[in-house]
Formats: sequence, C-alpha cells, structure tokens
Amino acid sequence: MGVHEAGQRPRMGDKPIWEQIGSSFIQHYYQLFDNDRTQLGAIYIDASCLTWEGQQFQGKAAIVEKLSSLPFQKIQHSITSQDHQPTPDSCILSMVVGQLKADEDPIMGFHQMFLLKNINDAWVCTNDMFRLALHNFG
Amino acid sequence: MYSTAKNFRTYRTEEYKGGGNTSRGRVNYKSYFHENCGEENVYYKNNGYKSRLSQFQEDDGNTAMSDIQKDLHPRHNLSTTDDNNRKVARDNKDLIHITEWRDGNHQMRNMNKNEPGCKDRTFPMTKNKGPMPKYRTPSKREIEENGQNNIYGNWFKITIPYGRKYTKTWLLNSIQSKCSVHFTPVDFHYVRSQAHFFVKNSTTAFALKNVNYKIHDENNHQVRLFVKESAAPSSEQNKLKPEEIEQLKLAMKKRFDVSQKSLNLQSFRFDQDLMSHDIDMILNRRNCMSATLTVIEENFPELLSLNLCSNKLYQLDGLADIIPKAPQIKILNLSNNELKSLRQLDKIREMKLEELWLQGNPLYNNFSNYSTYMSAILDYFPKLLCLDGKDVTHSMDVETGASEILKPSKKNHGVSEMLKNLVLQFLEQYYSIYDCGDRSRLLDAYHDEACFSLTIPCNPKELVPLSLYKYSKSNRNMKNCKDHVLLTQLLKHTKRDVVDFLRVLPKTQHDLSSFMVDICILTEKMLCFSVNGRFKEVEATCPVILRAFTRIFIVIPASNSRLCIVNDTLTVSNACPKEIQSDVSIPARAPSSIPVPTISQEQQAMVQAFSTQSGMKFNWSLKCLEQNDWNYAVAGQNFTLLKAEGKIPKEAFQQIS
Repeated sequence: MGVHEAGQRPRMGDKPIWEQIGSSFIQHYYQLFDNDRTQLGAIYIDASCLTWEGQQFQGKAAIVEKLSSLPFQKIQHSITSQDHQPTPDSCILSMVVGQLKADEDPIMGFHQMFLLKNINDAWVCTNDMFRLALHNFG
Repeated sequence: MYSTAKNFRTYRTEEYKGGGNTSRGRVNYKSYFHENCGEENVYYKNNGYKSRLSQFQEDDGNTAMSDIQKDLHPRHNLSTTDDNNRKVARDNKDLIHITEWRDGNHQMRNMNKNEPGCKDRTFPMTKNKGPMPKYRTPSKREIEENGQNNIYGNWFKITIPYGRKYTKTWLLNSIQSKCSVHFTPVDFHYVRSQAHFFVKNSTTAFALKNVNYKIHDENNHQVRLFVKESAAPSSEQNKLKPEEIEQLKLAMKKRFDVSQKSLNLQSFRFDQDLMSHDIDMILNRRNCMSATLTVIEENFPELLSLNLCSNKLYQLDGLADIIPKAPQIKILNLSNNELKSLRQLDKIREMKLEELWLQGNPLYNNFSNYSTYMSAILDYFPKLLCLDGKDVTHSMDVETGASEILKPSKKNHGVSEMLKNLVLQFLEQYYSIYDCGDRSRLLDAYHDEACFSLTIPCNPKELVPLSLYKYSKSNRNMKNCKDHVLLTQLLKHTKRDVVDFLRVLPKTQHDLSSFMVDICILTEKMLCFSVNGRFKEVEATCPVILRAFTRIFIVIPASNSRLCIVNDTLTVSNACPKEIQSDVSIPARAPSSIPVPTISQEQQAMVQAFSTQSGMKFNWSLKCLEQNDWNYAVAGQNFTLLKAEGKIPKEAFQQIS
C-alpha cells in the first residue's frame, strides 16, 4: 500500500484498521436496514446528520423516523463496491456503491457515504449521505 | 429619595414605634395607610412591598431581592380592627413571602420554598387585579401615589414559550402584524427559553390573546403566546421619581464627553453624586437601566460611545432597549461585568458596533483560544473593527470567511447559500483544471497529507470491464473482498502521490450540469460534500466514452480563503445507456464540438431545487425550466398543471423518495 506509516494510520494484520472497521460497519448497517430498519437508531447519535436524496435530517430520532417511514416494506441491498479512508481527525470515510430492490420495484443503483467516528470506544455514524444513481446502474 | 433598602429599614423601626394598637409588637396598619405616620409612607410610595412580591412572580432572577430581605426581622401577628392581618415572618432565604387572602383576613404567611404546592401558588395579585385588598378601598393618597403606574390598573404579562429562538424584532413585529390593536411592549426580556413582555390594558391584552394561533415561524412552527394578568413590570413599578431622574441626568451630564460623544458609566453605582442623594443605580435592575436609557434618549441621542464597565451586568435585556434610543452607538464597553454567555450579546446584536470590549467577563472562559472567541463575537457583530483593544484584522476576514461559513447557521440546520456557492465555485475551479489544464496545478488544492482512492465497482457476473481497465493500470492490489465482489482499489497518500496518480488518469470532460451535490458540515473546520455526475473520456486515440462517477471530498479552509482537500474518493463506472439517450447534452468545455451554451451556476442550483421540489429527475427539471424561460414560479405552475393532468411520464420521476 502506498500508505506511509505516519503513526496516524496503524495497520493490523494485512488490512488497515479503517478498512476493517469500515467494512464491518457497512455489513452491519445493510443487514440492519434490510431486516428491520427501525433498529438503525443504535448507530446514530444526536449530533448525526442524514442527507437523504438532498433532504437533511438531524439527530437520531429524526433519522430513524425518516428511515422507518420510507414507503416500502421489503428492501434488499447489494454492495458492488466499498471504499474506506481515514480522515485527519481519526474518523473513517466510507463510500458505498451498490444496488437495491424495494418491494417489487425495478433494481436501482445507489451511492451512500458514511462518516464514522469513535465515541467512547464505539464507532457511530455522524454523517450519512444517500443518493439514488441517476447515471449508472450502480 | 430613599432607596428601597432603606425603606425597609425605616419601616421596620417605625413599626415598633408606630402608634395605635394594643399588644406589643402590633401595629395599626391603618395608620400606615392612612396617615403620614412618622416617616413618610415610604413603603407604599415606593411600592417596596409589592415590588418584592412581584419580583418573585417575575422570576427573572433579579438578585437584588436578597439584599433587601436580609434586613427584615420577624414580625408578630398584626391585627387591626380592620381586616388587615399581616404577618411578616423572619426573613430566611428559604422562605418565600406570600400573601394569602383568607376569610377576609389578609394574612401573610411564610411558606417554605420546598413545601409542596409552593411553586403553584399564584399570588393573589393576579386574581384580585392588584395587591390591594378588595375589602378595603384604597385611600385617595394611594391612588395619587400610583397615578400613572397604576398598580391597580391592568397590566398583563405576555409569555412566548421558546421565544428565545427568535429575535426581539422579529417576534414583536410578527405579533404586531397579527394583532388588531397597536401595543407597546414594556420590559421585553428572555427567561430561560421563554420571552416575556408586558402590556398595559385589557383591550390590548385581549387582542394579543387572539394572536395565539396565528403566527408561524420560518419553519412553519406555531408560535404560541400566553397572556395573563400580572402586577406591573418592575421597570414600571419601581420607576424613579422625577427628583431622582433629575439627579440622574445631572450625574450623567457630568460623565458625558461632548467632543467624543461618549458617556462613561463605569461603576455607575458608586458615582459620588448619586450616592450622596441615596440613589442606587444598580444597572441590572430594569428600572435603573430604563431610567438611564430614558435620560440618554432625551439628552444624548447622538451618543457614539458607551462605557458600562464594572456594573456587575449579568444580562443585557435592559440594554437592548437602547437601540432605538441611541442608534448611532459604535463603541460599547462591557468589560469587567458578569456576562456568562454570548447569548447575552444576542439581545443587542442589532447594534452596529465597530468597537467592543468584553474582557473580564466570565464568558471569556468558554473559549479555548482567542481566535474562536473572536470569530464567535464576529458572528454577532460582523462589522466589528476592534475587540478588547485589538484590531480585528481584515486579512483574517478572508480566513474567517471560509471558516465562518462552515459554522452551521443558527437559523437553519441546513446549509447556507454562501456555503453552497463556495462549494460550487470550488467544483468549477477544480474541474476546469482537471479537464483542460495541467493536473499538476491541482497540487495547490490538496493538503500535504491528503488521501485519495479510486474504486471501480463491478458486478460479480462480469469482470472489471475492459474499458475501465485502464484505470487499474497502476493497480497493485486486486482484492477479493468478502463474497464474490471483485473490486479494484488504490489508496494514495500525500499530495504528491495523489496528483501524480490523477495525472495518469484519462483525460476527461466533466458535465457540470449533471452534477448532483450534497453538502454536510462535519465540524467548524471541516466540510464534506459528494458529487454525483457524468463525464466523458476524451483520450485522443479512443472513442469518447461516457462515464458516471461519484466523488466525495472532505475539505478544510486554507489560509488563502480557499478550500483544501484532505480526503478524496472517486468511483467510476459506465454510464447507463438510458440516461445517455435522454441526455440533454451540455458539454462543459468542448473546444472541438459545436458550442452549446452551458447552464450557469445559478441555473444549476435552480434545477437542483426544482428537481427536489417536483420529484422529477435532474434532466426533466432542466427541460421544464428551459421551456419556461427559467421562470421558476411559472415552471412550477405548469409542472403542477401537467402533473394533475397526468401528462408527465412516470420515468421523469425519481422513484424512491
């Protein structure tokens, strides 16, 4: 990897830590989302901000309300790519591209970005941006 | 002539001297009310008693009370042949004096603050429209005394819960606009999250009651408003007497410097002249501040500089009234007071200050360093030139420009217009270099420790599409990540590496009109935005290929008011053929092709907004606006019409909201 061991970016095993944390978060997130998205509150905090298709929602409660009120019963996500980067303030930037299928609608592509922060030894999501893919299948 | 404190002392001694009645310690109250017994009837004259009780009602945290209370001694039960029974108990910090009206006997009872129901006690004043018993007609003298500040007259207190959210001007203007009667608010102030003010007569109060459901703020929340009877506001109740005001005026004139148009009220309480006349100018008290401001209004309306240093000020509600009275004030000295939070400045933020002194206030400790302190103050007074004697340098403005913008606006949680423009400007510049110029110029845009990574998503069914393979030329790591998803990923660190890598990527032409930008503020110093859009690959020997990309930038403000990239992630994939067909092709910069006008930044923003509001995809919104000559309102109307008629195809809309 072209990553300089600047002390800020420790490695564990063969995968850098931000990738480990990022990918396990992603897996957890989409599992929760697909099975019971009302449980997603646990990964957000009161200072979190969700930007869903351009609309902003602040705070855990508002976010969970928005996600729970989305107009579909069944949802399935499939990740086609994910990418993780460490930020200067020791947070993790995760970018996800994938496809989703809601109820009986056609498959659509989506892009999502998460910003993860370590608060009291737990990684929570402080920012979340979601967009449907307009220009590609995802 | 006497300060309230002195009054009580006088009263106390008088009580035991006072004549009339029988048993030890009992005083004929009647004599106090009706005769000029001993000392003047200073008690009622200055409404000391009432003011004490009403101040508890006010709940405005006025701590002057405790000074007075300490002087009180226990009183025995006082009974008179009249109906007045009053019992004034030993003063004790935990006891609240209230007057209970019982069976025609007006007894003052001491209630322990912690007693249940204590807080629920509403003072009889509110029920009986005045502190005077209705069982006894007030004497002629009393009516004269109270005159204009008719304590018996109807004062009403208007409460706006959550009023703290709104500025005084907005709130009062909104209320006035919905109120059928013109009103003059008295003693406007904030207590915790509420806003309060008083009005004088019942017609006004009634009219205000009707405003309750009529006001909506900018987020469309209802602004509630409650009206209840109350005693006169403290500034009215304790209004200074004309003689006192005269003394005040003289004292202030001595402190006014005509050439500088400045008024020095430093340590005003200890002014020799005022003290010798027994006038306590405690500026925290609404009545004192109000009198001072009236003198200023009448005598020094051209005031430029005001010094309120060392006056133990802990709130600025009273000072806020100065704005219409002395509109030219540019210099304000509030140093060495007791201001605990910048929220106090909120009350005077309409002052157009150029110079401000705040040092020596507890609020200073809320800041970790001088520059956060300064930028917080600048938030309130953007035209400030000098803070605590130090110049607010304009070159800093440039820096604070970018970092100021990053602070989430108080008014809306969302992203301000300035911020959006900043980001759009950044993207324009970035992509103009990326597309046409030498990409090494991008070095300036990146932070030394910047990170960049490129990802190419691909379906498990197909391998990395050949056409995209050129992106992975320099790829070192082909990872099998989890299941069957194959992805190509590279992470570049340090700006040198990043830019070197960017330079080998194929030449591009980004379609700015296709950009969908989402912005979120991470911290005061960090901004994150994502861009979804399209670009064309325009390598010389290859046919033009349309790609779709998602790019996420994390930026921080840099020293030359620019944005500096610390994280950059790029995902490239093939553009969806459907979109290509319905594409309104507007190349950003295409020297070889037929020049087609690009849409401007404002137009882009308009399309974006239209798209969000209508639910239509970007291209469709663009078409709609174009067809309506970029008249947003007309476009909106036409859209609504067509939608109602079912004439807009389903594919125009974004499916998941």
